[in-house]
Amino acid sequence: MTRAEITDLVRDTLVELFELDPERVVPEARFDDDLEIDSIDAVDLVEHLSRTFTKKVAPREFRSVRTVKDLIDLIERSLAQ
Amino acid sequence: MPLRFAPVDTSGQQRAAHGAPPRADFYWLRLAATGLCFVVFGIAALLLGLVILPLLSMLDGDRNRRRHRARAVIAAAMRAFIHFMRAVGVLRFSFAGRERLGLPGQMIAANHPTLIDVLFLLGFSPQATCIVKAELFRNPFTRGALRAADYIPNAPTEDMVLRAEQELRDGQSLVIFPEGTRTVPGRALELQRGAANIALRGAARLTPVHISCEPPTLSKHEPWYRIPARRAQFTLRVGDDIDLASYRDTARPRGSRALNAHLATLFEHGRSGRESRSS
Repeated sequence: MTRAEITDLVRDTLVELFELDPERVVPEARFDDDLEIDSIDAVDLVEHLSRTFTKKVAPREFRSVRTVKDLIDLIERSLAQ
Repeated sequence: MPLRFAPVDTSGQQRAAHGAPPRADFYWLRLAATGLCFVVFGIAALLLGLVILPLLSMLDGDRNRRRHRARAVIAAAMRAFIHFMRAVGVLRFSFAGRERLGLPGQMIAANHPTLIDVLFLLGFSPQATCIVKAELFRNPFTRGALRAADYIPNAPTEDMVLRAEQELRDGQSLVIFPEGTRTVPGRALELQRGAANIALRGAARLTPVHISCEPPTLSKHEPWYRIPARRAQFTLRVGDDIDLASYRDTARPRGSRALNAHLATLFEHGRSGRESRSS
């Protein structure tokens, strides 16, 4: 899966789960400040992404994720493993 | 009511000049009794946590039996303490619908005006678990009892969410204060989303409880000795179960936001209802 495909899927997921305006989901958007996604939401998000990419994302790794770009990086890394 | 936060003064004339209500219901006795209640609570909590519950945990039974025993003992102690507070005259209370608390898989969600709300909820739903402020697990007075009962420390983490979900699925009832902390009087009510999220994940039913205390006392940032001019009346009301099915139809983050908003409206409504009656 290419980085562009991952980016699209991540954006679609965020838009669907959190009813976000797609234009707000830019790589540098911060989850807490810009997208109002808190750590409780992150639990749902991780579960959902694990299903979407059929790859288990460890919540511990997710802790270092601050921005949408961090999340795309993390998924890219996990898929490459 | 900004006067509530003004420093306590001892001059009756000055109080009257500020429009403060006259002190009634044996004010000074109630002040002494309130102090006594804090002391009794501390001693009872230590006794439970350091002596009684550790002894009980030596009886046989698996982890589940042991923690149920601990929870039952703690609930009985809380009930006894509530009756003690009433007997020494610091409060009166009514609790409508309490027979509907403590059902399997039931999440009991309440607003949180005072320090002692949890005593009523856990005291009258004896097997329930509770999400408790994490600091109290480090507080020397409360840690022993909280650990024996295996209550859940509050933390905005996956561990807490999944553990609470599991307890509900195992048929425990769970007491939670969606505000996360006591209401700050006069400020808009704001709920953490964790409670709604956990309810959608694991609750068989969600039962709201509305708590009001009139005149207000033991609220956030209020020291124990600032007791109300009249004896406090606690009014607890168990509301109708909230239908979770409709919130489960959508993706959870959206469902939990919607449910959260609904809970906030319910609590806010209860609050304004109280204020309009008392004015």
